[in-house]
Amino acid sequence: MNTKPFFQLDRVIHEKGRLPIVSLLAAAPELAFTEMRDTLKMTDGNLSMHIKTLQEAGFVSVTKSVRQRRPLTTCALTAAGRKAFAAYIDLLEEIVREARPGK
Amino acid sequence: MQEEWASQNLVVIRTLMERAAVYRRALAPVMGLVGLTGIAAGVFGTARGFETARPFAAYWAAIAMVCMVEAFLLIRRQAIREVEPFWTPPTRRIAQAVAPAFFAGLVMGVLYFVEDTQRWDLVMLLVLIWMALYGLAMHAAGFFMPRGFRFFGWGYLVAGLGGMAWWVANPVPDAAVAPAFPWGSANVWMGILFGGGHAVYGLYLHFTEKSGQVV
Repeated sequence: MNTKPFFQLDRVIHEKGRLPIVSLLAAAPELAFTEMRDTLKMTDGNLSMHIKTLQEAGFVSVTKSVRQRRPLTTCALTAAGRKAFAAYIDLLEEIVREARPGK
Repeated sequence: MQEEWASQNLVVIRTLMERAAVYRRALAPVMGLVGLTGIAAGVFGTARGFETARPFAAYWAAIAMVCMVEAFLLIRRQAIREVEPFWTPPTRRIAQAVAPAFFAGLVMGVLYFVEDTQRWDLVMLLVLIWMALYGLAMHAAGFFMPRGFRFFGWGYLVAGLGGMAWWVANPVPDAAVAPAFPWGSANVWMGILFGGGHAVYGLYLHFTEKSGQVV
């Protein structure tokens, strides 16, 4: 079996807590912090930590604003984040394809 | 082994991407309030005798507006409470999905308003057309909502089309008088179908919807 694709997986995205975050953001232009927290059933601290890692990698942008006199934090995938996510999916598909050559 | 793990990851990614596109606001209070408004409007419309085409179409168009404002205010309040934007991508998709059927319903209402027929059976037909169109709108919205919502749409579509089949199979002469109350009252039927349908679905959601989210 070719193990090369597995070792090419982006380690920032390829993490139990961060992959769901990137998957959610890939399906929406932007999402509120609370929306992600509720959907993924994560704690504020855990989600903040993963978003910070993704932000530092340049995959996620975070915008803070005030709406109805309350702070609103929204996150979005950057162009680099979308590209990395697409490459990650390609590699997963390659792994599956190689394991099922007849299909 | 790696292949299994990769497949599972792809499924998780797909599920999460779908979930991001699904509408999250709690619908039980919206459905309940719209249901009560519909029932009250049916009672009031019957009491005031809005049974010919023009007053009936104008009255129920106004009630539809009231229901939309109620839904908007309740959903906006939820968004503010959750510190989230109101006009999210799923909200926009739902608005786009219901727009054609709502527009068709509005056009039918305008046609009835202009024509101003006095025939009770034709006014009753408008109720059935509205129900079928409303069912189509709710079914289309259901693609961005929890699965149950599409069944809600099907309910209205079947009620509207079933009623139309009955209407075609039982033609009435031009001058026929309406059946005895309540069966000949279009307002009663609107109250039952529109108001009652929402109230029942609202009650169902009240007992099944998870607090704060519907997916």
